[in-house]
Amino acid sequence: MDTPPIVSIRRLTKHYGAVRAVDGISFDVRDASVFTLLGPNGAGKTTTLEILEGIRRPNAGDLTVFGRTVRHVDRGLKEEMGVLLQEGGFEPYLRVREVLQLFSSFFRRPRPIEEVLADVALTEKASALVRTLSGGQKQRLAIATALINDPRLVFLDEPTTGLDPQARRNIWAIAERLRTAGKAIILTTHYMEEAEALSDDVAVMDHGTIIATGTPRELCAQLGQTTIIEFDASGVGSEELSTLQGCCRAIRQDGSLVVAETDDFLKTMEHLLAWSANRAEGLRDITVRQPNLEDVFLTLTGRRLRE
Amino acid sequence: MKDCRRLARVHVTTALRERVTFFWYLVFPLFLLVILTLIFSNIGSVGDLTLPIGLVNQETPSATADFATIIEDVFLSLSQAGTASQTTLFDLRSPDPTHDASAPSESQLNAVRNGDITALLLIPEGFNQDVLKAVTTDSGPATLTVYLSGGRSSSELAESVIEQVIAGLDEQILTTLGRFDPLSTFAVEHRTIAAADDEPFQYVDFLLPGILLMGFFTTGLFGVPGTILFGRDRGILRRYWVTPLTVPRYLAGFSMGHGALCLLQFVCLWLVGRFALGATVVIFRPLPLLFLVLGAVTFLAFGFFVASVARTANAGMAIANILNMPMMFLGGLFFPIGDLPLALRAVMYVNPMTYLADGLRGTLGIDVAMFPLPVALAVPAAWTLVCIVVAGSRLRWGVER
Repeated sequence: MDTPPIVSIRRLTKHYGAVRAVDGISFDVRDASVFTLLGPNGAGKTTTLEILEGIRRPNAGDLTVFGRTVRHVDRGLKEEMGVLLQEGGFEPYLRVREVLQLFSSFFRRPRPIEEVLADVALTEKASALVRTLSGGQKQRLAIATALINDPRLVFLDEPTTGLDPQARRNIWAIAERLRTAGKAIILTTHYMEEAEALSDDVAVMDHGTIIATGTPRELCAQLGQTTIIEFDASGVGSEELSTLQGCCRAIRQDGSLVVAETDDFLKTMEHLLAWSANRAEGLRDITVRQPNLEDVFLTLTGRRLRE
Repeated sequence: MKDCRRLARVHVTTALRERVTFFWYLVFPLFLLVILTLIFSNIGSVGDLTLPIGLVNQETPSATADFATIIEDVFLSLSQAGTASQTTLFDLRSPDPTHDASAPSESQLNAVRNGDITALLLIPEGFNQDVLKAVTTDSGPATLTVYLSGGRSSSELAESVIEQVIAGLDEQILTTLGRFDPLSTFAVEHRTIAAADDEPFQYVDFLLPGILLMGFFTTGLFGVPGTILFGRDRGILRRYWVTPLTVPRYLAGFSMGHGALCLLQFVCLWLVGRFALGATVVIFRPLPLLFLVLGAVTFLAFGFFVASVARTANAGMAIANILNMPMMFLGGLFFPIGDLPLALRAVMYVNPMTYLADGLRGTLGIDVAMFPLPVALAVPAAWTLVCIVVAGSRLRWGVER
């Protein structure tokens, strides 16, 4: 952490009337790292990103990007940023190459188009109309437009939402390559696996504030020696659940599963086995695992990332 | 600058590739120009479907086998109504059938040129001899000449009717002579005379400026909300705003592309109007061009106005549709608008189209202008200004500036 952060924000605030979408948040993004904003929909992740991308203006707070302290992100800063928006479209009747020609005309020092096409594996689709592309291909085109200026800082706002697993893996591979190439990436996601796989640093956001920061490992370690035990919830009533309260630190029903958090795994298992011996259903589909970012979020807020 | 040029190119490319916009920007105006011209030129000039023609017979009359006189008589009889109520096919008028060897005279050709007669039929000297030769020795048909005036549809119509009458005669003469093999006795040769400069009223000359304005109007009214609102609603513009591109530069590029589309419309409509429909109106003069440019700018601004009062792209298209018909029809684009009921006249007076169409036709010398030139220029200019002010303060781009 000897190099100065590439992005540094302090007490950043954005409100719409009485609604505080972003409520005085502060964080630093290290150069050549992946910084992830994790949180449920409406937590203020996208608003924060939009301020950093230069399409919204903050009401208050200090903003330092590439070592320049500014009131809002201007044209000069945008020259060195690449943005993948959460939602966005392209003219359906343009060809892939024409889209990239258009975007490269917006920048002072664009990269060669063929090179960018190769980066996102769209060389063969260069002459295809945008309207004929699949969802994953469109997303790769969007990434190509974000990389056309060889940016120092790349924003990936929910990059894999709505994509199939194969397309998701392609996007992850591109993000990995970018980090290897020394780019700083700011990622938002509500996929816990994605945050765990890609992030160097994570800030957990809820209701416009940052409630925890750290590496994924550090955040999970906050939960101490906790082990998570999950099993099939069919036939478990709420009264029965309350009789199990004594066996562990916390137990609750989560969809079709009962989830128990414990600091003493053996004691809890003994308790559960004894309880299940008297049940017709027994203890089915049991899983034992270490806590993940989803559990961190749950512990911090009492809610899930995706409701 | 390269960003503006690239945006302009994208605007034109997508408009031409998308079937809907291609139809409304180019196919529909061309279609309307051709169809209205074809319908109204004939009705307008032919009227009760009597074609005034002239006939010159240079052949010396003879007692036997005088085919020239037979043809003359046929056209005379086709020009005389059997009863008072019957309309005649032709109106054979001055110059009366003459046996003048020096004909056609300059005054006879002028009558064609000026549209006094639709066509002039010339039976040459030695015609009877030629017919006999054609029948007996198969030396080729005897030639008749029709003079017609270029670009006048009534003239072309007369020519084709004359040809049919001659062909009918040909068949009868051959039958009478007992020849049934495929052979022609007569051939009709036509000579086109350029129409006179002081051309009588031609509907296509009235219509062409109107269709040009309609093209610009459609492109502005539908093209601006279509591109900008759909671009905003579908997040196409958002992708631009996260790059160094600014709204003013986007607008500059968009307007350049819009101008190029209008120019393309102008070229296509003018070429078809001039060379396919025979329009003679001279557009390439400063004042008419000024009105065309003003029209393109006014409707571009008007499109921005519509885009700024609509919340969504679909609402924008609905508003454009509502405004489309009254502005087009109550602006005098296709027909002269004279005595309208009071309520409609109010629409006419606030419609910028009225002033643009009036000013354009007035400066082209096609129609007598209703409004003085400064008024015809000022009203659309004022509309442009108001639209720009409203759009400038209301239009949302999806970016905080």
